[in-house]
Amino acid sequence: MAGPSKTDILQGTLTLLVLKTLARSPMHGYGITLHIQRVSNEILRVEEGSLYPALHRMEQDGWIRAEWGVSENGRRARYYELTAKGSKRLAEEEKGWQQLTQAVASVLQFV
Amino acid sequence: MSLFSRIRGLLQTSRLESDLDEELRTHLEMRAQDNRASGMAPDEARYDAHRRFGNVALAKEDAREADIVRWIEILLQNLRYAARTLRRNPGFASVAILTLALGIGANVATFSVVHAVLLNPLPFPHPEQLVRVFDDLRGSNTRDVGMSVPELWDLRDKSGVFQDISVAFPVDANLTGGEHPDRVEFLGTNTTYFTMLGVQAQLGRVYTAQDSVPGFTEGIVISDGFWHRMFGGDTNVLGKKIRLDGDLYTILGVLPPSFHHPGLSFGGTEIEVFAAAGFAENPFPNPPVRGFRILPGAVARLKPGIAIVQAQARLDALAAQLSREFPVDYPSAVNWGVRLVQVQDDLVGKVRTELLVLFGAVGCVLLIGCVNLANLLLARSASRQREVAIRQALGAARGRLIGQLLTESFLLASISGVVALLLVIGLKAWLLHLAPADLPRLNEVRISPGVLLFAFLISIGTGVIFGLAPALQTVRPSQATNLREGSRGSGTSKHQMRISRTLVISEIALSLVLLIGAGLLLRSFWHLIEVQPGFDPHGVVTAKMWLAVPNIPEEDNYRTTEKRAAFHQEVVRRVSAIPGVQLAAVGNSTSLPMNGQHFQLAFTIEGQAADSERAPVAEITSVTPAYFELLRTPLITGRMFTDADDSKMQLVVLVNQTLARKYWPKGNALGQHIQFPGRRSDGKPAPWVTIIGVVADTKSDGLDAATEPRIYRSMYQAPTYDAVVYLRTSGDPGTAGDTVRREVQSVDPTIPVFGVRTMEEVVAKYMEQRRFALELLGVFASVALLLASIGIYGVMAYTFSRRTNEIGIRMAMGAQPGDILKIALAEGAWTITFGLAAGFVGSLAVTRFLQTMLFDVKPADPVTFLAISALLAAIAMLACFVPALRASRVDPLRALRHE
Repeated sequence: MAGPSKTDILQGTLTLLVLKTLARSPMHGYGITLHIQRVSNEILRVEEGSLYPALHRMEQDGWIRAEWGVSENGRRARYYELTAKGSKRLAEEEKGWQQLTQAVASVLQFV
Repeated sequence: MSLFSRIRGLLQTSRLESDLDEELRTHLEMRAQDNRASGMAPDEARYDAHRRFGNVALAKEDAREADIVRWIEILLQNLRYAARTLRRNPGFASVAILTLALGIGANVATFSVVHAVLLNPLPFPHPEQLVRVFDDLRGSNTRDVGMSVPELWDLRDKSGVFQDISVAFPVDANLTGGEHPDRVEFLGTNTTYFTMLGVQAQLGRVYTAQDSVPGFTEGIVISDGFWHRMFGGDTNVLGKKIRLDGDLYTILGVLPPSFHHPGLSFGGTEIEVFAAAGFAENPFPNPPVRGFRILPGAVARLKPGIAIVQAQARLDALAAQLSREFPVDYPSAVNWGVRLVQVQDDLVGKVRTELLVLFGAVGCVLLIGCVNLANLLLARSASRQREVAIRQALGAARGRLIGQLLTESFLLASISGVVALLLVIGLKAWLLHLAPADLPRLNEVRISPGVLLFAFLISIGTGVIFGLAPALQTVRPSQATNLREGSRGSGTSKHQMRISRTLVISEIALSLVLLIGAGLLLRSFWHLIEVQPGFDPHGVVTAKMWLAVPNIPEEDNYRTTEKRAAFHQEVVRRVSAIPGVQLAAVGNSTSLPMNGQHFQLAFTIEGQAADSERAPVAEITSVTPAYFELLRTPLITGRMFTDADDSKMQLVVLVNQTLARKYWPKGNALGQHIQFPGRRSDGKPAPWVTIIGVVADTKSDGLDAATEPRIYRSMYQAPTYDAVVYLRTSGDPGTAGDTVRREVQSVDPTIPVFGVRTMEEVVAKYMEQRRFALELLGVFASVALLLASIGIYGVMAYTFSRRTNEIGIRMAMGAQPGDILKIALAEGAWTITFGLAAGFVGSLAVTRFLQTMLFDVKPADPVTFLAISALLAAIAMLACFVPALRASRVDPLRALRHE
């Protein structure tokens, strides 16, 4: 299934990645998966079955809002957009992620 | 998630639903398009899109978990699913619904009686304040001896605990003036009776304190039933006059149909006429005498805030004070006291145990029914395990599956609950007809909101009880094994068998408890039937009479002893002459056994100091000479009464063996003299009377009651106004009543004859309540036994059928059918043994609640316990044997290939 170079997204980081993606510009669900995959050089793969539940939850929590729009190739698609609350959340999540990676790095560097 | 977003979710659901669909579709299409762009074939492109997405439905489900409406949707979906499943198994569904509907119905019916009789407060304002007031002679251990008028006044004026107190004096009264004399149930009260209870008339008015006079008031109040019976519900009834016992009364008002006197009537039927008296003038002694307990007792309302215990303490103090004040009337040996009992307890106290026992029993039956259904479901769930395992593997949530399975049992239970309720409502009249007619408050039984609530709760509870275990079992987390097991089709997990077996064990245990309860009652009943009543009821017909007692003595046709004696003598003569009648006799109302009538007097024995010991007290009965011969009660020593023992002769009495033994243990009662209290009309003390004989004891108070000391007086020397005619006849007892009535009314056309019953009916009526409890518990126990047998049979048959493969292997290895049978039976025997052991312990714990319903049998009667256990064991083993035998006869080849 997922090759050695491909990694399923760590649990809990999906929110962070989605928020970060949407911080660039509003985007539909499929676009979000493509973006994450592309930017991570195909290493991170978004589990599509969990993307939509995650989007729905974030919408319920008021971090993002959705609107119907038209996609690049003229298809009706639901575009997600970061809210102010979402930006704040993104900042928190980013900070948390930095702390975590630093902590992991420190452990790894300790000889 | 915030409440706000939940509500928003609720409002937006339908939009969300289509949005989500479209969004996911868009996603899939975009992916497929990209796939095609990268060179995939169209089919492959779509397939890859779907594959990458995983379970679309699951994604949707997860995404939408949060909404409330989702819950409702799930519920509806579950209901549809459950209904579909049930429709596909109509056999299972109908068996389940039938079992549950009968079980729930029986419970609801029983509860409606328990609710009306025991739980529902009496229909009066502040019913907890209402008490019955009894006078007891604690020294001689005699209860409810009646109350004198001065005592009533003391209770009213000096006790300080009552808001009000009223006599409740039930008597028979003769209604004359119509075509035939009729007899009515009459209650003498104080004028404050209705205001004390808080009852208004539906027509006219009730009497109140303003109507008070020393004797009987002219105005009376009639019951709704009497109004319809006598006047056809005519609203012009107010002011009409009726003649009762020769006195003219005016109807003041009609009581509402819901009103029932909260106490006994004289003949056991509804009180029809209420009249008030001051009890201080004719027909009562004037002035009232303290030692003359002419009133049978009273009903009172306690002052607000005074608990019955406090009131009792105050009354004890008052009784002590009065005893000091009037030492002649209250000898210290007698230890007179007043006892308060809550009216509700007084009314229903006797049936409480029986009702609760029956309620418990019917609950057990339902529980056993539930267990059977649980087992059925469990067996079915095993065959559904593969389906469930697949659904779980596909990602169905465990909670969701449990919900689905539980919905099924709730649906079954709810349908059964509705069917049960309809059954109970439809059969209400017939069901009530089954209950003993003298069950108090029976007329208050109805399908009240409380009963509906109970029906609802018990249906839900039933659903949980029989549905939960199978549901949990079906979706146990070890789906992997389930998948494997399912695929091999070999067996049911050990765990499931353990649950099944536990269920069967509990079923056997519950059945054993019920059966032992029924067995104990049955043994009591046998013992009762074997009791020698001291009389022979076969071929005896009885009828009651009442010589009217007008309020003005001068108008009393039967004022003198001679006149009453002559009347009774003439009745005996005429009734004896009826063709087919071998013997005829007359006695007073206490002469009729098991009739609940008491008349007790203290007496003095010549040569024994009056209060050196406990004052002797005996039940007093007057009878004509043929009474004993007619009832075949043997004379032990001395002689019987003769027609010559009349008022001109020396006063004589017969005593029963109990009295003779108690006061003359050496056996020399014959010829002794005794004296009754009071004075003759000329002021001289009552004369000494001679004991001329001793007769055998009779079970006057019932087969299960100890015989009281009893003194029989000659009806011609101590003639009473109340009378019972006895005839031993070879003729038709059905027509005997009319013949007797004709003969009596040819002596005096104003005397009604009523309450015609054969002596066997009198005894049967006494046994009725006991018989009812026995029959009902017997039915419940039999149903339990049947259900338990079916349960054992079902589980064993199922176990062995699932183990066909194993049996085949055993046989292939050389096991003989006998060995298989042995294994199978041993397994059944273990289950049964555990069940019996649990039931045995349970029975020991609960049968003591039956204590008051038992007669001559201990609650832990070893014979009953062992016999019933053996019976149940035998039936259970039989239920095991059939499937075991079938298992042992399996063809090994077929068994091996089995699935």
